[in-house]
This record gives sequence, structure tokens and C-alpha cells, in this order.
Amino acid sequence: MADLVLENLTIAYGNVTAVRDVSLTIPKGEFLTLLGPSGCGKSTTLFAIAGLNHATSGRIALGERVFFDDRTGRSEPPERRNIGLVFQSYALWPHKTVADNLAFPLELRKVGRAERDRAIAEALDLVEMGAYARRYPFELSGGQQQRVALARALVYRPSLLLLDEPLSNLDAKLRERARVWLRELQERLNVTTIYVTHDQAEALAVSDRIAVMHNGTIRQLGTPTEIYEQPSDAFVADFIGSSNFLEGTVVERGASGSRVRLANGATIATSAAPGGPGEVLVAIRPERITLADGPGENTIPVTLGTGSYLGSVYQYEVSTPGLNFRIQTDRRVPQGDVFARIPPEATTLFLKSEAPVRNEEAAPVV
Amino acid sequence: MSLTAEPIGKPALDPSRWVMWGVAILTTVLVIGPIAPIVAQAFLDRPLYDDEATLTLANFVRLVTEQGIGIVAFNTIVFAVITTVVAQLFGAAAAIVIGRTNVPGRKWMGELLVWPLFVSHLVIAFGWFTMYGPSGYLTLMMRSLTGVTPWNLYTLTGMGIVAGLSQAPLAYLMCLGAVTKADAQLEDAARTVGAGPFRALWSVTVPMMRPAIIYSGVLNFVVGIEMLSIPLLFGAPAGIQTITSFLYEEGIQAAVRPDYGIVGAAALILLLVVAGLVWLQGALMTGSGRFITVRGKASRPSTIDLGPWRWIAFTGLFAYVFFTIVVVFAGIFLRASVTFLTPLVPFWNLFTADHFWLILDNSSYLRSITNSIVVSLIGGVAGTALVVIITLIARRSEFVFGRALEYVALFPRSLPGIIAGLGFFYAVIWVPGLDAVRGTIWVLIVAFMVRYIPVGFGAIAPALAQIGDELDRGARVSGANWWTTVTRIVLPLLKPALFSCFALLFIHFFKEYVTAVFLYQPGSEIIGTTMLQLWAQGDNGPVSALATIQVVITAIFVFVARRALGAKIYG
Ligand SMILES: Nc1ncnc2c1ncn2[C@@H]1O[C@H](COP(=O)(O)OP(=O)(O)O)[C@@H](O)[C@H]1O
Ligand SMILES: [Mg+2]
Repeated sequence: MADLVLENLTIAYGNVTAVRDVSLTIPKGEFLTLLGPSGCGKSTTLFAIAGLNHATSGRIALGERVFFDDRTGRSEPPERRNIGLVFQSYALWPHKTVADNLAFPLELRKVGRAERDRAIAEALDLVEMGAYARRYPFELSGGQQQRVALARALVYRPSLLLLDEPLSNLDAKLRERARVWLRELQERLNVTTIYVTHDQAEALAVSDRIAVMHNGTIRQLGTPTEIYEQPSDAFVADFIGSSNFLEGTVVERGASGSRVRLANGATIATSAAPGGPGEVLVAIRPERITLADGPGENTIPVTLGTGSYLGSVYQYEVSTPGLNFRIQTDRRVPQGDVFARIPPEATTLFLKSEAPVRNEEAAPVV
Repeated sequence: MSLTAEPIGKPALDPSRWVMWGVAILTTVLVIGPIAPIVAQAFLDRPLYDDEATLTLANFVRLVTEQGIGIVAFNTIVFAVITTVVAQLFGAAAAIVIGRTNVPGRKWMGELLVWPLFVSHLVIAFGWFTMYGPSGYLTLMMRSLTGVTPWNLYTLTGMGIVAGLSQAPLAYLMCLGAVTKADAQLEDAARTVGAGPFRALWSVTVPMMRPAIIYSGVLNFVVGIEMLSIPLLFGAPAGIQTITSFLYEEGIQAAVRPDYGIVGAAALILLLVVAGLVWLQGALMTGSGRFITVRGKASRPSTIDLGPWRWIAFTGLFAYVFFTIVVVFAGIFLRASVTFLTPLVPFWNLFTADHFWLILDNSSYLRSITNSIVVSLIGGVAGTALVVIITLIARRSEFVFGRALEYVALFPRSLPGIIAGLGFFYAVIWVPGLDAVRGTIWVLIVAFMVRYIPVGFGAIAPALAQIGDELDRGARVSGANWWTTVTRIVLPLLKPALFSCFALLFIHFFKEYVTAVFLYQPGSEIIGTTMLQLWAQGDNGPVSALATIQVVITAIFVFVARRALGAKIYG
């Protein structure tokens, strides 16, 4: 019953509003990810929950315990919140051994010596670092440090686990293994976890739910499937998996679907259009577009341009007068004129006025 | 995982707020302590402990009309300007030659070059007096060789040159930092577009020394204005008064009754001038970002091969180091060990240990040595503790007045030693209850600590900035309050900086004398005040012996601090 509740959280630094009116409820045991490009306010939100920075307004509560409330002026200092936090840089204390790093929070809690040693051994075993208790942090590899940092955050059984891009300093291969392992561990301990990352693949792989953030606000909150399949706005569609955006005009509206005339003159069936003006963007992921043998429903003739091999799929630039987009196939296709089919159910329509700002930080299509 | 550790409920006793408020209030009181009575005295017609005293502006009027402050101000400014120009020229040139060329012997000459920073101006002035004074060893030698006296220290120019040469090491150190940290790629870039190595150095790196030159220049100007020893030793015999020797004579020497009003007014003006200069220094340094070249992985700049010219450079550098440092120190040692020093009789025929015995046999002279050591040790430890807590509050806490505390703590940069001494002297008579510490070494310790808080801050703040704040944040999250975090996590990591801070404070306290001249009494004399006293009696031999003892103790301390504590002291 100890849900973490953020209500209308706003954090401003001078005239920069790092976090704007964020509200979230995170049930016990959930693995929630804050996902967004760098600078969007993820860490600021996380640190406000930990009490390391002060929200300007709003409320943060874990069940009955109010961490912060600007109306009552209440703000619990970080040391009284009983939260585990893993920093991007791990923040292991360099003058303490691995075991001493873990012992410190237990000493502060006046845990007896025997109990302390047992808890340290248990936590280190949990992260498979039992053999390294006597080492100093600088004697460990990045991956090992990351696991010790996690053990230190878990050793006092915190009521909340906060992770700020914990895998971002690991190399790509280790990162993929670590995230699987991290998720398994979290499920085993059933500790409510908030995970911050700018890597959408990581977020999709580990989370129960994802909150996509942009410019200090939550743009969409949902399960990985919802976020991926039904992005609620053009920014999310672009940021998660990098969609194509085809300009067009709604020519027919319906409850379950509509028809859109694209810039090349072709008219295709799409999912339902948003209310408002008829100028829209049709978002479609490159891997959902298929190649067809000839003309057909929702199929447009295109010229296949240069391609690149991405490891498991091929990606090609295709064009037709007025339109350029990308498609992905699982086999090599010779250059030339082909037909591309856009499944209506794979499209999402947004008003053209909310076209996404292309963000360099957005992860590339993989 | 089945842990019994409970969430932290009731807070353990958390002293953080008490420490923050306590240190903030203590620091503020200590800094205001010497300033308030001076401001008050400047506007009172009688001594400030006199109940009949009333507010007046007459002190300032009298200062201008009666006392001929104009000529004192003129002397002070000319003296400070010459000091600065000489210090900056020699310091910058030495920095380039030592930092960037292959001149032979640059390592040991670089070491020797900073030695004047370790000892007081009093010692240096005395060394100059012994060798280059009117009847100095080298002066007499020159006169017997050439028949003329080529120099005269008892002029504004002579005083300025001596003061400038003793301050050149400061400019040298700051410029050395600038030239050796300059990004080699910038010079390399100049080379690739066709500049020779000297041209590249001159057009790219030398301009980058500008902030260092300006910064140390203002610092040296302030040192010149507030310097007491050289104006006292060389100016007074020739009737040349600067503001500090004026304050000294008016405040102490005035045999019958010191004129408190005049002293207060002059002190206040000096305080305002120095505060203005320190502010100017800050203002000049803003926007110096375009000169900051140390970013990312800057490679160290190469040394420039001078070819055969390196022997010319060596001669110049050696002459500088030899005649202004080696000879000066040698003069002190020599004078301490002979009955009298003259080029007419070989000095080895005149060796004696009498001067040392005179010092060691006299209980008050001996006490001045032990007092100096005790003041420096206790003051160094207490000062380091105070400064590190101030720095941690200012830079690593959510204390609302953290920034304000930093400003207050750094204010003593603007507090000349003579003013600090005078101010604490007034404060001790003025504030009821402080009479108990009057004339004890405790007043000296407190006054020295206040004066050198900024020095300690300068040693600790950069080291603290190197410690990522996620280390303390991590401790806070895992359950430690602020005080536990700084004592258990931050302080252990700061250990090297704490040693350096202690060593710097020790050296500054050990050589300090200006701040003490108004504060000491029989029983609390320190080496510097005893030297001044012996000097006034004309006992040059014992003065030299005392100076020698001071230099030797300092040398031992520097050696031990560098070896055993790993302290970083001037490079
Ligand atoms: N202490 C601070 N002072 C001023 N601005 C800050 C501070 N901390 C964060 N910001 C600003 O808030 C925004 C969000 O930062 P952050 O939460 O660190 O982003 P990220 O999503 O990459 O973790 C950024 O624009 C950053 O510049
Ligand atoms: Mg971040």
C-alpha cells in the first residue's frame, strides 16, 4: 500500500524550470522508468524524490510519509527518507573498502556488528560481488563498481530504489547483460524502483511503465507496448524508435479510422485523426512498412535509394515526389522502383502544428 | 533479502544546524571584531573606551590639515607602485625563463626563488640592510673598489626595489602556473602557421599570463601599501613615512599619549583603499575566461631550446637569484655569526656564537621563539579546522547564509595586518570581559587566524571542488546527516589539502609580526616583535641571530611538512 505519489511537482532554478507540474503515482513494487533526452529534467525529478534538491512546489509522499509538501512547508532531509540511490558515477567512497562502503549506512542505522556483517555478505552475494569485499573501489572495473553501488543502495533495505543512468558508463555489451540482471534482481526483491535513462531500448526492455519526459514535463505515461505502439504525441513517436513523419491532409474522418491525402497525391487509410485542422503528420515506424509486389490498398510507388545494413535489418531511404522516408527489411533489396505498403493500424496521426523538434539526443533507429 | 534494518525514524541528535550557525556567527564576530572599533574610533573625539567620547568628523579634518597626510599618501603610492612594477617584471620574466626554456639549473634556481615567501619582510629587509645598507658589506666593498656608493636604500626608489624583489616570487608563482598550464596545442597551432618558437611564446602564451600578472600585481600593490618593515627600517632614518609607518609611530611610538582619533581615521582610510583594491582585483578578473586554456586533456607545453643563448639567460637568472636572494640570506647568517661584519677584515677571523647565546640566555628572547612556535602550531591547527568548516558550509551545505559566510570569511583579504592588530587591540580594551586575554598569545592566535582565513580557504576550496558532490549526496541518501557526512566522508578525502592548509598557515603565522605589534606584551612576544625591539636598540648581531633561528626553523618545518605530510607549499 506504500505508493509513491508525486503531485504537481515543479522545480525551478532561477528562470529555468527544470521540472514542470509532474504528477505520478507509482505502486509498490513497480519498475518505472523516466525516459527522455538529456536535460529534460529526469535527474532533477529523481533527486527531488531523494531530497537532494528542493522542489519549488508540489508534493511528494510515500504512502503515509510526506517527504515534501510546499503548502505545509514540510521537507524531510534526505537522510531520513530511507531511499537507495545509485548515481551515474556510482559515487563509491574511495577511501572505504567495498565492505566499508556497505557498512556505513548500516552503522548509521545502529545495526549490530553481527547483523551488519551478515547483511553486507548477503547484499554482496546478491550482486555477485562477495569475493571483492576487501577491495577498494579503484581496484574494481566499471561493471563491478556499478554492482557494488547497487549493493550499497540495497543493503539497508530502502523503501525505494532510485537509479540515475546506472548503466550509462558501461560498454554496450555489458549494458545489455546488466539490464536483464538488474530487472531480475528488482523482481526478486520487489522493491519499488525508479529508473532514469535516455536510452529508449533500455527503457523498453526493463520497465513496467515508462514516463517519457520532454522539457520538464511528462509527455506520455504507459507500458512499453503502449508507448511504442500508441505514442500520444509526435515527440514520443519520434523519440521512441524514431518514426517517419509523412505530411498529409485529412480527407475523410471516421471513428475508427480516416483517410489522408499524402504530399505525393496518394490517399491512404490511417488510424483515427485528431480533432482540429486537417493538416496532419502520419507517423509510421520504418519496420512496419512492408514492400509489396504491385499496386494495392494503401500501397504507394516509391524509388528505393541508398541502404545501410544495421546488423539485423537493412534500412533504405525511399522517395516519391514530395515524400522521403525510411523503411526496414530483413533482406537486401536491389535499388529501383518498388511499392511500399503502409498498414493503417500501424499509423498514428498528429496535428502538423505539433511537429517534433528533431533532437540530436534521440537514440538512433536500431 | 531479510534485513532487520528499520527505516530511519526519529533522527539521531543532529548537530549540523548548530555547527553551521555557530561557525557562521563566530566567523562574523571575528571578522567584524577588529573593524568595528576602528570605524568607531575614526569618528570619536576621544579614545573609544572613554565614556565622554562624542561623534565627530574632526579627526579627518585634522588628518588632512595638521598631519600632512598628503606627503604620507604620496610616499605610500610611489612606494607601492615601484614595488609592484619591480615584482611583476622580475616575477614574469623568471616564470618564462624557468617555466618554458631549457636554461641550465632552472630546477634549483626555481626552488631558491620562492624562499623569500617563507620568511617575513622583516628578515628580508634586515638581510638587505646588512649587505646593501649604508654601511652594508657589499656597499662598503663597492665603495672601496670604485670610490663611490652606487646605491642608496634609504630612498623611495631603493625601498621600492627591495620590496619589489621580495614580492617577485609571488608574481613568479602565479605566472609560472599560467605559462606551464597553457595548452601546448595553442602554441603548436601558432607554429604550424609559421611562427618560430619565440614568436609563438611571445604572441600566444605571454598574453595568457595577463590575468596572472594583473591578479598578482594588485596583490603586490596591496602588500606594498600595507608593508611595515621596509618603510620602518629604510624610510624612517631618511624621514620617509608611509601610511603603515605613520600608523605605527602614531599608535605606539608616540611617547606620551597616542592620538587615537588620528590613528582611527588614517586606519579607516587605509582599510577603505585596500578593500577598494581587492574589489578592483575581483572586477578585473571577471570575464577572464577567454584566457583559461586548461580544458580537457591539455598537453604540457614543450620547453624552448635557447641554444647558446641559454648561458646568457643562465647568467641573468643566476645574478638575480644570487644577488637578491642568496646574498640577502647569507648576509643574515653571516651577520649572526660574527662580532662585526666588514669587508676590511676576513669574516672568518671574527666568528662568534655570542649573538646566539645572547638570544638563548635571555628568557624573554627565548620565550619569543617558543611563543612563535606555539602560536603557529595551535593557530595552524585551529585555523585549519575553522577554515575547513567554513569552506564546507559555504560550498557543501544547504545553509541559507552559506554564500554570505564565504564573503565574510574572505573579507580579511582587505584587512591589512596593521589594521587587524590595531582593531583587535581596540576591541580587547573596548569590549568588557576581554581584558583577561589582553596581551596573551591567545589574542595573537585569534588575530592571525582571522587575517589568514582567506589563505587557508585558497588551499582548501580548490581541493574540495575536486571531490564530486555525489559522494556527499550518496552519504546523505544512505542516512547520514550533514555533519556525519562531512566528518566521515569529505574530511578523510580532504586530508592532503588539510595538511597543505596547516603548513601554509603555520608558515604565515610563524613569519607574521605586523599584526602583533599592537597586541603583544611582555610574556606574549614573538620572534618578529623581539626583532623589532632589538633593532630599535641597534643590536644588529642578535637581530640576525634571531632571524637566522627563524629561517632555520622555517626550513626544517617546510622540509618535514613536504616529506612527512606531503603538504603542497608553493609548488
Ligand atoms: N542546480 C541546477 N541549477 C540550475 N539549473 C539546473 C540545475 N540542475 C539542473 N538544472 C537544469 O535543469 C534541467 C534538467 O536537468 P537534469 O534533470 O539534470 O536533466 P537530465 O534529464 O539529463 O537528467 C537542465 O536544463 C539543467 O540545466
Ligand atoms: Mg541526468
